[in-house]
Amino acid sequence: MAVEKEWAGTTYGNGWMHKWLIRMLRLCNVRVFYVLVAVFVVPVCLVVNPGRRTTYRYFRERWGLTPFRAMWKTYRNFCLFGQVVVDKFAMYAGKKFDVEIEGYEVFRSRAAKPEGFMQLSAHIGNYEIAGYTLTSEKRLNALVFAGEKESVMNNRNRLFDTHNINMIGIRSDMSHMFEINNALGNGEIVSMSADRMFGSAKSVTRTFLGGQAEFPMGPFAVATSRGVDVIAVNVMKTAATKYKIYVTALDYDKTAARKEQTEQLCRAYAAELERMLRMYPEQWYNYYEYWK
Amino acid sequence: MEELVEELKKEIIDVLNLEEVTPDDIDPAAPLFGEGLGLDSIDALELIVLLEKKYGIRLATPSDGKAIFKSVNTIAEYVQKNRKK
Repeated sequence: MAVEKEWAGTTYGNGWMHKWLIRMLRLCNVRVFYVLVAVFVVPVCLVVNPGRRTTYRYFRERWGLTPFRAMWKTYRNFCLFGQVVVDKFAMYAGKKFDVEIEGYEVFRSRAAKPEGFMQLSAHIGNYEIAGYTLTSEKRLNALVFAGEKESVMNNRNRLFDTHNINMIGIRSDMSHMFEINNALGNGEIVSMSADRMFGSAKSVTRTFLGGQAEFPMGPFAVATSRGVDVIAVNVMKTAATKYKIYVTALDYDKTAARKEQTEQLCRAYAAELERMLRMYPEQWYNYYEYWK
Repeated sequence: MEELVEELKKEIIDVLNLEEVTPDDIDPAAPLFGEGLGLDSIDALELIVLLEKKYGIRLATPSDGKAIFKSVNTIAEYVQKNRKK
Protein backbone atom coordinates (compact mmCIF):
# COMPACT_ATOMS: atom_id res chain seq x y z
CA MET A 1 0.00 0.00 0.00
CA ALA A 2 1.36 3.44 -0.89
CA VAL A 3 2.23 5.84 1.90
CA GLU A 4 -0.72 8.08 1.16
CA LYS A 5 -3.11 5.13 1.13
CA GLU A 6 -2.46 4.38 4.75
CA TRP A 7 -2.49 6.36 7.96
CA ALA A 8 -0.86 5.16 11.19
CA GLY A 9 -3.81 6.33 13.29
CA THR A 10 -1.86 7.80 16.19
CA THR A 11 -1.88 11.22 17.77
CA TYR A 12 1.21 13.35 17.18
CA GLY A 13 3.71 13.98 20.00
CA ASN A 14 5.06 11.98 22.89
CA GLY A 15 3.77 11.43 26.43
CA TRP A 16 5.71 14.37 27.86
CA MET A 17 4.27 16.74 25.24
CA HIS A 18 0.75 15.49 25.88
CA LYS A 19 1.10 16.03 29.65
CA TRP A 20 2.47 19.52 29.09
CA LEU A 21 -0.38 20.35 26.72
CA ILE A 22 -2.99 19.18 29.24
CA ARG A 23 -1.39 21.30 32.00
CA MET A 24 -1.34 24.37 29.77
CA LEU A 25 -4.95 23.81 28.72
CA ARG A 26 -6.00 23.83 32.37
CA LEU A 27 -4.66 27.38 32.57
CA CYS A 28 -5.44 28.82 29.11
CA ASN A 29 -8.45 29.26 26.88
CA VAL A 30 -8.53 26.85 23.94
CA ARG A 31 -8.59 29.85 21.56
CA VAL A 32 -5.01 30.67 22.55
CA PHE A 33 -3.96 27.25 21.29
CA TYR A 34 -6.09 27.60 18.16
CA VAL A 35 -4.10 30.72 17.25
CA LEU A 36 -0.78 29.00 17.99
CA VAL A 37 -1.84 26.05 15.85
CA ALA A 38 -2.97 28.26 12.96
CA VAL A 39 0.15 30.46 12.98
CA PHE A 40 2.96 28.06 13.88
CA VAL A 41 1.89 24.43 13.57
CA VAL A 42 -0.30 24.30 10.45
CA PRO A 43 2.18 26.06 8.11
CA VAL A 44 4.84 23.50 9.09
CA CYS A 45 2.37 20.61 8.67
CA LEU A 46 1.39 21.91 5.24
CA VAL A 47 5.04 21.66 4.20
CA VAL A 48 5.96 18.29 5.73
CA ASN A 49 2.65 16.39 5.65
CA PRO A 50 1.72 14.71 2.33
CA GLY A 51 -1.91 14.92 3.46
CA ARG A 52 -1.97 18.45 2.06
CA ARG A 53 -2.02 17.03 -1.48
CA THR A 54 -4.93 14.67 -0.88
CA THR A 55 -6.89 17.35 0.97
CA TYR A 56 -6.25 19.84 -1.83
CA ARG A 57 -7.51 17.26 -4.35
CA TYR A 58 -10.52 16.59 -2.11
CA PHE A 59 -11.53 20.24 -2.39
CA ARG A 60 -10.68 20.50 -6.09
CA GLU A 61 -12.26 17.26 -7.31
CA ARG A 62 -15.11 16.64 -4.85
CA TRP A 63 -16.22 20.24 -4.41
CA GLY A 64 -15.00 21.75 -7.68
CA LEU A 65 -13.18 24.65 -6.01
CA THR A 66 -10.70 26.85 -7.84
CA PRO A 67 -6.99 26.21 -7.05
CA PHE A 68 -6.76 29.25 -4.78
CA ARG A 69 -9.99 28.40 -2.90
CA ALA A 70 -8.87 24.76 -2.57
CA MET A 71 -5.53 25.91 -1.08
CA TRP A 72 -7.31 28.15 1.40
CA LYS A 73 -9.74 25.36 2.33
CA THR A 74 -6.81 22.97 2.80
CA TYR A 75 -5.28 25.43 5.25
CA ARG A 76 -8.67 25.73 7.01
CA ASN A 77 -8.98 21.94 7.11
CA PHE A 78 -5.58 21.58 8.79
CA CYS A 79 -6.47 24.36 11.27
CA LEU A 80 -9.76 22.65 12.14
CA PHE A 81 -8.03 19.32 12.58
CA GLY A 82 -5.54 21.04 14.90
CA GLN A 83 -8.45 22.54 16.84
CA VAL A 84 -10.07 19.14 17.20
CA VAL A 85 -6.83 17.70 18.61
CA VAL A 86 -6.58 20.66 21.01
CA ASP A 87 -10.22 20.08 22.02
CA LYS A 88 -9.50 16.41 22.80
CA PHE A 89 -6.69 17.40 25.14
CA ALA A 90 -8.86 20.19 26.56
CA MET A 91 -11.38 17.49 27.49
CA TYR A 92 -8.62 15.51 29.17
CA ALA A 93 -7.82 18.75 31.03
CA GLY A 94 -11.41 18.94 32.24
CA LYS A 95 -12.76 21.63 29.89
CA LYS A 96 -16.42 21.42 28.89
CA PHE A 97 -17.95 22.05 25.48
CA ASP A 98 -21.51 23.05 24.57
CA VAL A 99 -22.99 20.06 22.79
CA GLU A 100 -26.29 20.03 20.93
CA ILE A 101 -27.80 16.69 19.91
CA GLU A 102 -29.97 16.06 16.86
CA GLY A 103 -31.74 12.70 16.87
CA TYR A 104 -31.19 11.86 20.53
CA GLU A 105 -34.44 9.83 20.50
CA VAL A 106 -32.89 7.53 17.87
CA PHE A 107 -30.10 6.69 20.32
CA ARG A 108 -32.36 6.46 23.37
CA SER A 109 -34.91 4.16 21.70
CA ARG A 110 -32.15 1.68 20.77
CA ALA A 111 -30.51 1.98 24.19
CA ALA A 112 -33.84 1.12 25.82
CA LYS A 113 -34.08 -2.24 24.01
CA PRO A 114 -32.44 -5.34 25.50
CA GLU A 115 -30.58 -6.07 22.24
CA GLY A 116 -27.20 -4.64 21.45
CA PHE A 117 -26.70 -2.23 18.58
CA MET A 118 -23.96 -0.67 16.52
CA GLN A 119 -22.88 2.93 16.38
CA LEU A 120 -20.92 3.84 13.25
CA SER A 121 -18.69 6.87 13.11
CA ALA A 122 -16.29 8.44 10.61
CA HIS A 123 -13.08 10.44 10.60
CA ILE A 124 -14.91 13.74 10.43
CA GLY A 125 -15.59 16.28 13.19
CA ASN A 126 -14.65 15.07 16.66
CA TYR A 127 -16.29 11.74 17.44
CA GLU A 128 -14.64 11.36 20.85
CA ILE A 129 -17.08 13.98 22.22
CA ALA A 130 -19.93 11.51 21.60
CA GLY A 131 -18.41 9.11 24.11
CA TYR A 132 -18.85 11.63 26.89
CA THR A 133 -22.28 12.82 25.80
CA LEU A 134 -24.37 9.92 24.45
CA THR A 135 -24.53 7.77 27.54
CA SER A 136 -26.96 5.09 28.67
CA GLU A 137 -27.20 2.04 30.91
CA LYS A 138 -25.64 0.02 28.12
CA ARG A 139 -21.87 -0.23 28.00
CA LEU A 140 -20.30 1.31 24.90
CA ASN A 141 -17.47 -0.72 23.38
CA ALA A 142 -15.33 1.39 21.08
CA LEU A 143 -13.10 -0.34 18.55
CA VAL A 144 -9.84 1.62 18.47
CA PHE A 145 -6.47 1.45 16.77
CA ALA A 146 -4.32 -0.60 19.18
CA GLY A 147 -1.17 1.37 18.35
CA GLU A 148 -2.39 4.71 19.76
CA LYS A 149 0.03 6.48 22.09
CA GLU A 150 -0.03 5.23 25.69
CA SER A 151 -0.58 8.72 27.10
CA VAL A 152 -3.64 9.25 24.88
CA MET A 153 -5.03 5.83 25.79
CA ASN A 154 -4.44 6.49 29.50
CA ASN A 155 -6.29 9.80 29.33
CA ARG A 156 -9.14 8.21 27.41
CA ASN A 157 -9.31 5.36 29.90
CA ARG A 158 -9.42 7.82 32.79
CA LEU A 159 -12.37 9.71 31.27
CA PHE A 160 -14.11 6.69 29.77
CA ASP A 161 -14.06 4.74 33.04
CA THR A 162 -16.63 7.16 34.42
CA HIS A 163 -18.77 6.96 31.28
CA ASN A 164 -19.33 3.18 31.02
CA ILE A 165 -17.04 2.90 27.99
CA ASN A 166 -14.73 0.02 27.15
CA MET A 167 -12.08 0.21 24.44
CA ILE A 168 -11.40 -2.79 22.21
CA GLY A 169 -8.05 -2.63 20.46
CA ILE A 170 -7.70 -4.06 16.93
CA ARG A 171 -5.27 -6.97 17.26
CA SER A 172 -3.57 -9.28 14.81
CA ASP A 173 -4.86 -12.39 16.65
CA MET A 174 -8.41 -11.23 15.77
CA SER A 175 -9.46 -11.40 19.43
CA HIS A 176 -11.24 -8.07 18.90
CA MET A 177 -13.80 -9.86 16.73
CA PHE A 178 -14.67 -12.19 19.65
CA GLU A 179 -14.94 -9.20 21.99
CA ILE A 180 -17.24 -7.39 19.54
CA ASN A 181 -19.44 -10.45 19.14
CA ASN A 182 -19.63 -10.99 22.90
CA ALA A 183 -20.49 -7.33 23.51
CA LEU A 184 -23.36 -7.40 21.01
CA GLY A 185 -24.53 -10.75 22.43
CA ASN A 186 -24.59 -9.15 25.89
CA GLY A 187 -26.89 -6.37 24.62
CA GLU A 188 -24.16 -3.71 24.63
CA ILE A 189 -23.26 -1.00 22.10
CA VAL A 190 -20.35 -1.47 19.70
CA SER A 191 -18.86 1.62 18.14
CA MET A 192 -16.52 1.62 15.17
CA SER A 193 -15.60 3.86 12.28
CA ALA A 194 -16.84 2.66 8.90
CA ASP A 195 -15.05 5.04 6.56
CA ARG A 196 -11.53 3.64 6.73
CA MET A 197 -10.13 0.19 5.95
CA PHE A 198 -8.66 -1.73 8.88
CA GLY A 199 -7.93 -5.36 9.70
CA SER A 200 -9.54 -6.90 6.63
CA ALA A 201 -8.98 -6.03 2.97
CA LYS A 202 -12.63 -6.77 2.13
CA SER A 203 -14.50 -3.70 1.01
CA VAL A 204 -17.70 -2.39 -0.50
CA THR A 205 -17.33 0.10 -3.36
CA ARG A 206 -19.84 2.94 -3.37
CA THR A 207 -20.39 6.17 -5.24
CA PHE A 208 -19.52 8.80 -2.67
CA LEU A 209 -19.32 12.55 -3.32
CA GLY A 210 -19.34 11.88 -7.04
CA GLY A 211 -16.51 9.33 -7.10
CA GLN A 212 -15.96 5.65 -6.39
CA ALA A 213 -14.76 5.00 -2.84
CA GLU A 214 -14.07 1.82 -0.90
CA PHE A 215 -15.73 1.34 2.45
CA PRO A 216 -14.61 -1.40 4.83
CA MET A 217 -16.94 -4.39 4.82
CA GLY A 218 -16.19 -5.20 8.48
CA PRO A 219 -18.61 -2.86 10.29
CA PHE A 220 -21.49 -3.77 7.98
CA ALA A 221 -20.67 -7.49 8.17
CA VAL A 222 -20.62 -7.34 11.98
CA ALA A 223 -24.06 -5.71 12.05
CA THR A 224 -25.68 -8.01 9.49
CA SER A 225 -24.14 -11.18 10.95
CA ARG A 226 -26.16 -10.61 14.11
CA GLY A 227 -29.00 -8.58 12.57
CA VAL A 228 -28.57 -5.73 15.03
CA ASP A 229 -29.80 -2.14 14.67
CA VAL A 230 -27.30 0.39 13.38
CA ILE A 231 -27.04 4.13 13.94
CA ALA A 232 -24.62 6.69 12.52
CA VAL A 233 -23.16 9.16 15.01
CA ASN A 234 -21.20 12.17 13.77
CA VAL A 235 -20.00 15.00 15.96
CA MET A 236 -19.32 18.22 14.09
CA LYS A 237 -17.59 21.35 15.33
CA THR A 238 -19.90 24.35 14.99
CA ALA A 239 -17.94 27.02 16.92
CA ALA A 240 -14.83 27.34 19.10
CA THR A 241 -16.38 25.55 22.08
CA LYS A 242 -19.52 24.16 20.46
CA TYR A 243 -20.30 20.82 18.85
CA LYS A 244 -23.40 19.27 17.33
CA ILE A 245 -24.01 15.53 17.46
CA TYR A 246 -26.04 14.01 14.63
CA VAL A 247 -27.63 10.63 15.37
CA THR A 248 -29.29 8.90 12.41
CA ALA A 249 -30.79 5.43 12.08
CA LEU A 250 -29.23 3.38 9.27
CA ASP A 251 -32.01 1.06 8.14
CA TYR A 252 -31.57 -2.17 6.20
CA ASP A 253 -33.83 -5.08 5.33
CA LYS A 254 -32.90 -7.76 7.86
CA THR A 255 -34.75 -10.40 5.85
CA ALA A 256 -32.78 -9.79 2.63
CA ALA A 257 -29.80 -11.91 1.56
CA ARG A 258 -26.67 -11.12 3.59
CA LYS A 259 -24.85 -9.53 0.66
CA GLU A 260 -27.83 -7.28 -0.03
CA GLN A 261 -28.06 -6.32 3.66
CA THR A 262 -24.40 -5.30 3.63
CA GLU A 263 -24.92 -3.27 0.44
CA GLN A 264 -27.98 -1.52 1.87
CA LEU A 265 -26.19 -0.66 5.10
CA CYS A 266 -23.13 0.66 3.29
CA ARG A 267 -25.37 2.73 1.02
CA ALA A 268 -27.19 4.26 4.02
CA TYR A 269 -23.89 4.96 5.78
CA ALA A 270 -22.32 6.63 2.74
CA ALA A 271 -25.44 8.75 2.22
CA GLU A 272 -25.32 9.96 5.81
CA LEU A 273 -21.58 10.69 5.59
CA GLU A 274 -22.19 12.66 2.41
CA ARG A 275 -25.00 14.60 4.13
CA MET A 276 -22.60 15.56 6.92
CA LEU A 277 -19.88 16.66 4.52
CA ARG A 278 -22.30 18.77 2.50
CA MET A 279 -22.93 20.69 5.74
CA TYR A 280 -19.32 20.62 6.99
CA PRO A 281 -17.01 20.03 3.98
CA GLU A 282 -13.94 21.32 5.84
CA GLN A 283 -14.16 18.69 8.59
CA TRP A 284 -12.93 15.73 6.53
CA TYR A 285 -9.92 14.10 8.18
CA ASN A 286 -8.98 11.17 5.97
CA TYR A 287 -5.52 12.23 4.80
CA TYR A 288 -4.90 9.67 2.07
CA GLU A 289 -6.16 8.93 -1.44
CA TYR A 290 -9.75 8.11 -0.63
CA TRP A 291 -11.26 7.88 -4.08
CA LYS A 292 -10.25 5.38 -6.77
CA MET B 1 -15.27 -36.63 14.94
CA GLU B 2 -14.88 -37.19 11.18
CA GLU B 3 -18.56 -36.52 10.75
CA LEU B 4 -18.23 -33.22 12.62
CA VAL B 5 -15.20 -32.24 10.49
CA GLU B 6 -17.21 -32.84 7.31
CA GLU B 7 -20.17 -30.93 8.72
CA LEU B 8 -17.91 -28.01 9.61
CA LYS B 9 -16.37 -27.94 6.14
CA LYS B 10 -19.84 -27.62 4.60
CA GLU B 11 -20.86 -24.96 7.11
CA ILE B 12 -17.68 -22.96 6.47
CA ILE B 13 -18.23 -23.05 2.71
CA ASP B 14 -21.84 -22.00 3.18
CA VAL B 15 -21.34 -19.25 5.75
CA LEU B 16 -18.30 -17.75 3.99
CA ASN B 17 -19.91 -18.10 0.57
CA LEU B 18 -16.88 -19.95 -0.86
CA GLU B 19 -18.61 -20.78 -4.14
CA GLU B 20 -15.63 -22.35 -5.88
CA VAL B 21 -14.53 -24.52 -2.95
CA THR B 22 -15.80 -28.05 -2.24
CA PRO B 23 -15.46 -29.90 1.09
CA ASP B 24 -12.80 -32.12 -0.48
CA ASP B 25 -10.70 -29.05 -1.28
CA ILE B 26 -10.35 -28.21 2.40
CA ASP B 27 -7.50 -29.95 4.21
CA PRO B 28 -8.81 -30.22 7.79
CA ALA B 29 -5.28 -29.83 9.18
CA ALA B 30 -4.32 -26.82 7.03
CA PRO B 31 -4.30 -23.27 8.46
CA LEU B 32 -7.55 -21.42 7.75
CA PHE B 33 -6.17 -17.90 8.13
CA GLY B 34 -3.37 -16.29 6.15
CA GLU B 35 -2.43 -19.45 4.26
CA GLY B 36 -4.80 -22.28 3.30
CA LEU B 37 -8.20 -20.77 2.60
CA GLY B 38 -6.71 -17.31 3.22
CA LEU B 39 -9.48 -16.17 5.56
CA ASP B 40 -9.35 -12.85 7.41
CA SER B 41 -10.93 -11.15 10.43
CA ILE B 42 -14.35 -10.71 8.80
CA ASP B 43 -14.43 -14.44 8.05
CA ALA B 44 -13.42 -15.05 11.67
CA LEU B 45 -16.50 -13.14 12.75
CA GLU B 46 -18.72 -15.30 10.55
CA LEU B 47 -17.20 -18.41 12.14
CA ILE B 48 -17.70 -16.94 15.62
CA VAL B 49 -21.39 -16.36 14.86
CA LEU B 50 -21.62 -19.87 13.34
CA LEU B 51 -20.27 -21.46 16.54
CA GLU B 52 -22.72 -19.43 18.60
CA LYS B 53 -25.83 -20.02 16.49
CA LYS B 54 -25.30 -23.64 15.48
CA TYR B 55 -23.46 -25.07 18.48
CA GLY B 56 -24.40 -22.61 21.27
CA ILE B 57 -20.74 -21.78 21.94
CA ARG B 58 -19.66 -18.33 22.98
CA LEU B 59 -15.94 -18.01 23.61
CA ALA B 60 -15.29 -16.58 27.06
CA THR B 61 -11.59 -15.85 26.46
CA PRO B 62 -11.17 -13.97 23.16
CA SER B 63 -7.40 -14.54 23.10
CA ASP B 64 -8.04 -18.31 22.74
CA GLY B 65 -9.67 -17.67 19.36
CA LYS B 66 -6.50 -17.87 17.31
CA ALA B 67 -5.71 -21.38 18.55
CA ILE B 68 -9.29 -22.57 18.11
CA PHE B 69 -9.58 -21.24 14.56
CA LYS B 70 -6.20 -22.60 13.47
CA SER B 71 -7.75 -25.30 11.29
CA VAL B 72 -10.98 -27.23 10.74
CA ASN B 73 -9.62 -29.95 13.02
CA THR B 74 -9.00 -27.56 15.91
CA ILE B 75 -12.48 -26.07 15.52
CA ALA B 76 -13.99 -29.56 15.49
CA GLU B 77 -12.11 -30.52 18.67
CA TYR B 78 -13.30 -27.37 20.40
CA VAL B 79 -16.90 -27.84 19.24
CA GLN B 80 -16.95 -31.45 20.39
CA LYS B 81 -15.81 -30.48 23.89
CA ASN B 82 -17.94 -27.36 24.31
CA ARG B 83 -21.09 -27.69 22.21
CA LYS B 84 -24.40 -26.93 23.90
CA LYS B 85 -26.59 -27.79 20.90
